[in-house]
Amino acid sequence: MISKILAIAKQNGKEGLYYRFDLLLYIFNFIVEITVYIFIWLAIYNNGNQIQGMTFEQITTYYILVVSLSPIINWGINEIMGNAIREGEILRELLNPISYFNYYFGIRIGELIESTIVGVLTFGICSILFGVLLPNGILNFLFFIIIVFLAVIVVYFFELLIGMTAFYTNSIWGVEIFKRAVLSIFSGMIAPITLFPEFLQKIANFLPFKDCIYTPINIYFGELTNMEILQVIMKQYIWIVVLYIIAKIIFNKAIKNITVNGG
Amino acid sequence: MIRNIKLYFSFLVASLKRMMEYRVDCIVGMVSQIAFQIIELVFIWIIFQTTDNIADWSFEHLLLLYGVMMLSISVTDLLFDSTYDIGKRLIRKGKFDTILLRPVHPLISVLGESETSTALGYMILSVILIVSMLIKLQVSVTLFLILKILYFGILGGFIIGGIQTIFSITGFWTYKSNEVVWSVFQLHKLAEYPIEIYNKFIRILITIILPFAFASYYPTLDYLGLNESNLIFIVPLIVIVIWIIAINVWNWALKKYRSTGS
Repeated sequence: MISKILAIAKQNGKEGLYYRFDLLLYIFNFIVEITVYIFIWLAIYNNGNQIQGMTFEQITTYYILVVSLSPIINWGINEIMGNAIREGEILRELLNPISYFNYYFGIRIGELIESTIVGVLTFGICSILFGVLLPNGILNFLFFIIIVFLAVIVVYFFELLIGMTAFYTNSIWGVEIFKRAVLSIFSGMIAPITLFPEFLQKIANFLPFKDCIYTPINIYFGELTNMEILQVIMKQYIWIVVLYIIAKIIFNKAIKNITVNGG
Repeated sequence: MIRNIKLYFSFLVASLKRMMEYRVDCIVGMVSQIAFQIIELVFIWIIFQTTDNIADWSFEHLLLLYGVMMLSISVTDLLFDSTYDIGKRLIRKGKFDTILLRPVHPLISVLGESETSTALGYMILSVILIVSMLIKLQVSVTLFLILKILYFGILGGFIIGGIQTIFSITGFWTYKSNEVVWSVFQLHKLAEYPIEIYNKFIRILITIILPFAFASYYPTLDYLGLNESNLIFIVPLIVIVIWIIAINVWNWALKKYRSTGS
């Protein structure tokens, strides 16, 4: 099963890497984004503000990591899945000798390969341009990677759920945008969650998205104890199981009354 | 010249009508654009939880600047949206050859094919932001000011649209959807914030090399009555220069153009 998933991942990843020039432009866009953030915060720090015990180097590193992680979290399967359902490709996908969930997981891993390359290059270039803090110890860095990977699986199930709305509505745009909005606010992409007003912090603590961006970066800084890190990992596993069950139930129901357009 | 402009608008009206046919897509595009902008506004709101000004710009000033940029963007989006995908939509499919046969400059035909559903989203948001912030900042909203805002909004749209048009010629060689134009367009984000916060390199980039700041920053200073340098008066000049460059670059690209033969 795993070899099948990897084969699909490899194929999908290669397709993405074919457009190498586009990847360079994505990196360029990410650097522009980081530049804006850094100069805004520089202006705030120049006012003599102390921000929640974060130094300027930390906030710079925070945003470089956020933007480098953002493709890894954001580049999902929704576009491919939505198109496949709209254009009738879904019929072929359902007949594949690999289950629908595994097939799309393979595609998600393919996207992950591509986005990791973009993320690492963005991080590398920005660390030269702006300077970054290194991770607090090798162990923390390993935990950082593990938690990001688990977060990708959590996000993958959300993407599946969103994609499946296309079985009913034929268009996933609305839900997809909603996901993007929720994700970018409550994962800590736009700002460290400790800077949020209290009621937003409460919502962020409840949702799993915090562990996609904010938590791994804090682990990178070494702000969490090993015990807390294990708790985060447990929480992610629970989310994965719960979301898997929900997705499976909905999928089994949706597949029965699927209508295919000219497929 | 007049004939070309007339033709451009009749092309544009035709393609906008074509777009309106797909009402749902239209609404979705609009709503999504507003949603993405709101995320950025949430960002500005959150950073103002930690500070009361950025380079002496208050929260209201910053939102006004943001709204002014949005207005220019909405004009760009409405009029010059087709610069994005000439490679994919026209060149690769050979459709560009039919455009060359028309008795009108190809640039007019291409620009006239703009059809965008996001422009209205930008426009609604920018009007809400500009009006509410002007009232909040107790700037007296006179008819003259409204006309001025519209005037510089349109000119700002032409600045950004001109820059896009210059870079759109890359589509002649890449034959695909133009990530280059998108990347250049994304640089407008730098000018959504006061240029005082940047270092010299970025200031030169967004005022002289790619003058995005004249679509947002300088007009905003003027509306607020803070315009000491009077740089605002060179905006029409900038528009003219950019479009002279754009047209010449396009003519040069047309000479180099080779059909894909499809």
